[in-house]
Amino acid sequence: MPLSILLPMVVVGIACIAVLLHLLGLSRRATLPDTAAARAAWLREFPADAPIHVTLCDNRSAALIATETRRGVVWPMGADTTARYLTGARARRTKTGLRLNLPDYTAPQIHLALDPDEVAAWQDALKETA
Amino acid sequence: MTDITPFPDVVNLAVPLFIAAILAELLWIVIKGRGGRYETRDALTSLIMGAGNVASGILLGFVAYGFFMVLWNISPLDLGTSIGVIALCFVLDDLRYYWVHRFGHRIRWVWASHVNHHSSQHYNLTTALRQTWTGTFTFMMVVRAPLILLGFHPGMVLFVGGLNLIYQFWIHTEAIGRMPRWFEAVMNTPSHHRVHHGRNPRYLDCNYAGVFIIWDKMFGTFVPELEEDKVDFGLVRNLGTFNPIRVAFHEWISIFRDATQPGLTWRERLKYCVMPPGWSHDGSRETSTAIKARFLADHPENTGTPGFPLNR
Repeated sequence: MPLSILLPMVVVGIACIAVLLHLLGLSRRATLPDTAAARAAWLREFPADAPIHVTLCDNRSAALIATETRRGVVWPMGADTTARYLTGARARRTKTGLRLNLPDYTAPQIHLALDPDEVAAWQDALKETA
Repeated sequence: MTDITPFPDVVNLAVPLFIAAILAELLWIVIKGRGGRYETRDALTSLIMGAGNVASGILLGFVAYGFFMVLWNISPLDLGTSIGVIALCFVLDDLRYYWVHRFGHRIRWVWASHVNHHSSQHYNLTTALRQTWTGTFTFMMVVRAPLILLGFHPGMVLFVGGLNLIYQFWIHTEAIGRMPRWFEAVMNTPSHHRVHHGRNPRYLDCNYAGVFIIWDKMFGTFVPELEEDKVDFGLVRNLGTFNPIRVAFHEWISIFRDATQPGLTWRERLKYCVMPPGWSHDGSRETSTAIKARFLADHPENTGTPGFPLNR
């Protein structure tokens, strides 16, 4: 197939599917309804390091995890979740909460929507981790 | 010996079919409220990875094709292009696919290219298109060398390889449960391939087949989909980004960082490139074998069940 046909077909096809998915309401991000869900989401990534404490943020979009030895974060990846340890993380306050920069090419930046009180608590936790 | 290839680039020709089938599956899921999940950013990443795969084929395809033409020109054999020869080539190329795919999960250098195909936590027809941009750098084209040397024309080998990829498109779906028993016994199906995409300890490193599931049954890597162990899709450690560049290159970056860290022997540096994913010089990480062993230690009642052979 000539590139002059293939290229527009691919670009238009991808754009149409993405717009359609968004219009169908399929861009909604996952939420963590309770601490049990946050705990399960953490264990899904780190089954051998169980949380001893879970701090769910007010809007239920992320959770701060404490295990026996380390701290970590669970956050939504689209309709699903993922998790990382916070070792080496740098936090910066933003208008809507916190931005975490992790030394991890597969999860370089996490944007957390937090209340001002929560921001302070998370920053304290991160200081302990660093 | 002819250098003229009468075989079309079937994967490019199938692009309209891919788009139509994705729309049909999406419609089915939305109307029926079952049969899989879609999410905008995940699907967009998968589709961009697919487009990038086609682009990398256009830019780098000459490397593999040039290699094949060198082999073709030194081979004294030419089996022609009859239907029987094409059918035989298709079957043998599917055996080739099985081994390349198995290497892709057991050799980190090859996994670095293949990992992006497993990086979605969804399993729908867009996942099928989440393909590598870096396949050329795995040098797995050498596994096709015997076919060329046996007298299968390079154009034919690439043609049947394209048909193989097109076959695998439709099996990336949750909308189809199980096919008829005879079909499940011989062919790769949505059920068998869902298992391959599972991150459950039971489902790690199995069902490598492209078209014929018989290869897994022959070589002892077949695991059936079990009702009691619902497939959890994605990577053992799921990505925290939808950025296609990071999806495409993350494992290569990781290999580079591991192999260049100070204090290692040259043997350890090499092992970071070629040992199974999860290998580390200090044992601080887990391979799929270690993950299965840990799971069995916690759930010994699963010993001897599919995916957990007794001799592991």
